[in-house]
Formats: sequence, structure tokens, C-alpha cells
Amino acid sequence: MRIKLTSVMVDDQEKALRFYTDVLGFRKKHDLPVGEFRWITVTSPEGPDDLELALEPNANPAGRTFQQAMFTQGIPLAAFQVDDLPAEFARLSARGVAFTKAPTPAGPVTLAVFADTCGNLIQLYQRV
Amino acid sequence: MLLRNEGFRRLCRARERLQQVDECAPTIEELARELRISPFHFIRQFEMVFGVTPHQYRIQARLDRARQLLAAGQLSVTDVCMEVGFSSLGSFSSLFARRFGESPSAFRRRVHASDLTPGCLSLMGAPRDRSFREA
Repeated sequence: MRIKLTSVMVDDQEKALRFYTDVLGFRKKHDLPVGEFRWITVTSPEGPDDLELALEPNANPAGRTFQQAMFTQGIPLAAFQVDDLPAEFARLSARGVAFTKAPTPAGPVTLAVFADTCGNLIQLYQRV
Repeated sequence: MLLRNEGFRRLCRARERLQQVDECAPTIEELARELRISPFHFIRQFEMVFGVTPHQYRIQARLDRARQLLAAGQLSVTDVCMEVGFSSLGSFSSLFARRFGESPSAFRRRVHASDLTPGCLSLMGAPRDRSFREA
């Protein structure tokens, strides 16, 4: 059993695809029509090409309520590892990304949190 | 941009207020005043965090609510239009079609022509007295 796919719920798939590729720097792997929505996945240029992140439409009202509550409480719904957190913080800030937590030591990691413009807070962490 | 706790909480509150569709729904200027920042900075910060301007967010929230009401099937398209705070049926239909790819009446017809499956979006908007067995 292996973990090959995970997902984040997004309020707008097209906007999410732009943010996760143009701003974060991930690469689009799949973009297929599925009914009124799309099956969109991205991969990291630094990671295995078959480890995918799906950008799932958050059309279910119950899902939207959950997503909004987690956001308001400041809880990230995904975490990505980076090699140089201060550099990522500077790079993404320069691209207009809003952070809710600047790089902060937290035990074995240093972490930061930003808004993905699609309804989620995302955590970045670097192993110390 | 680094948002401090209070600034972040205020933006979240503003987002909730933008989901209001009643007559007390605040203007963008009123929200900015509540946040104690200029309308320019409010719009800029909101867009950086939520990916759309406050005005766009309010329109989207109203259209999403309209979609739920149409799926429930108890109100006409005109009633739904008024219920979610649009005063013009023409602009409501046009904005709805742009966001969802079909007109409100076409969406209403399509949802009610299809069978409801437990757990699906259309069921969530279905009348409360409709049981899973009936669906």
C-alpha cells in the first residue's frame, strides 16, 4: 500500500491551477473534464513525477462550511516540505502571496503558513 | 504580505459579512471602515487572501446560494433572484450562466429531471421532507 495521491479542496479550479502552477511552481500533470468539473492534478518539479496533488472542486456546501471554518480557525489543510524556508517565504511574498505566519521555529521544523487564494491555508516546513 | 492575527481575523469576518444577502448587507466602504483600513487596502488584502475582490466574492456567494435554492426546487427563478439579493433578473441570469455554464432555468430543469443519489450535491439542496428512500 502506497500513498500516491492527495488533494486539496479549491473554490475555483481554474484559479487554483493558475496559483499552484504560476505562483507556487508546481507542474500540471492531468487536466480532464469530469462532468461539470475537471480532474486536475499537479506534481512538484522537485519531487517524484507520480506523486500527485489533486485540485478538487469544493462544490458541496458541507465541504465549503468545513473549509471556511478551518480557514477562519487558522488551521492549514495541507503541508509542503521545502529546503530553504526563508528563501521560499521571500520568493512567494514577492509574488503577492499573503502569509499568516512568517517562518517560525517549531521543534524539529521551521514552519510558515500562507493563503492559497482558493479557500485554504497551506503550511510550508523545513526540517531543522 | 504578512497578515497579523487581528488583520487576518478581520478579513475572515469581512468574508462572512459578504455572504449576507439581506438588506443589512454592508457596502465595501462600510466593511473597510469596520476593518479600519482604506477601501483600497481592503480590496487589495482581500484579493491576496481569497483570490477575488470583495465585490466578486459577494456575487459568487449569492450565485452559489441561488444554485442551492434552485436545486431545492421550491422557488421560481424570479423568486431565487430576489431571495439572493439581485434586483435584475437579466443580470442574475447572465452572471449565473457565466459562473455555472447554463442559465438558472436550464439548471433547475436539469436537476429536477435527474434522479437524486444519496450524498450528491443535488440531494443536499433537496427539500428537507424528502427521504433517502424517496430519493
